[in-house]
Amino acid sequence: MVKAQMKIQQMAFMILAVFFFFVLVGLFFLSLVVQDLRGSAERLRAEQAISSLRVIADMTELNFDSSDTLTIDEDKLKIMSTNLSQKYSMFLPVSYIRVYKIHPSFEKEIKCPAPNCNYYELFSSNQKNTLSYSTYVSICTRVNEDGYVQNKCEIGKIYAGVIKNEK
Amino acid sequence: MKNKAQQEMVGFVLIVVLVMVGMMVLLIVMLKSPKINSSLEVDNMLHVIMKTTTDCVISSGSRYETIEDLFISCHENRRCNNLNQQTCDYLNSTLSQVLSDIMKTEGEVEAYQFEFSPREEIPIIKIRDGNCTSKITSVAQRSVRVTSTELQIKLTLCKKQFD
Repeated sequence: MVKAQMKIQQMAFMILAVFFFFVLVGLFFLSLVVQDLRGSAERLRAEQAISSLRVIADMTELNFDSSDTLTIDEDKLKIMSTNLSQKYSMFLPVSYIRVYKIHPSFEKEIKCPAPNCNYYELFSSNQKNTLSYSTYVSICTRVNEDGYVQNKCEIGKIYAGVIKNEK
Repeated sequence: MKNKAQQEMVGFVLIVVLVMVGMMVLLIVMLKSPKINSSLEVDNMLHVIMKTTTDCVISSGSRYETIEDLFISCHENRRCNNLNQQTCDYLNSTLSQVLSDIMKTEGEVEAYQFEFSPREEIPIIKIRDGNCTSKITSVAQRSVRVTSTELQIKLTLCKKQFD
């Protein structure tokens, strides 16, 4: 009788041990999957921000060639970097938008309009606690060189500031 | 009786060992394999690079070529008439400068590689800089169709890993 009870007890302990072992294995894999999920969520958030920047760059108010994406008209930038863009503050859910010319590279930031300037500030709400997102754009203009009118595109980067969520 | 208990133990140990070996293999594979992502950011970067206007004019009286046009001209072994230079040489130096300037604005990029090659052939232009120690890699690829073949342009970025 006692021997049978011992056997049942032994089996119960064995089942418990196997159960805990597989729970630990499961937890280990779950932690790996969750870690990957966090990375994916972060990546998705960044991609979503870049997509929003693409929408801003492709707005008729900035776009150079409606048949192409991520091309900004420098003449439109000049106009929009005046006070005009402040009127857009209610449509743009961001704290600032800046467009930098990044090639050739520069040492000192010079706001346009100015000689040898390298960035345009389209809009700024002077918020301090912001998170910056950016993507690449072509800054294009129509030029007349050697009697030929043609498009000239440079490499730029559009930055937008998003107000940080306080937790 | 004793023999049966021993058999059970051996069976259990065998299962545990098998599960452990499986876990180890999985862990090694997960840790070693680099994560290659097609990234929107790198895709935009390559798109903008290709649209950039250069100082090269192929034939007098024509317009300034974009980097995208120069890939075709380089494949056709043409010259920049106004600069008196082979398009491939000019493209190589321009791309090196452009990529170097772009990477100055990228704090997270540890290394990069740019390749331009006709389909499944040795690259005509290969520019690389930095040393990749991280396993986070983003790739963007474009193809330009010319009459006889397809030209492939590939940009790979290796990003720093922050734990």
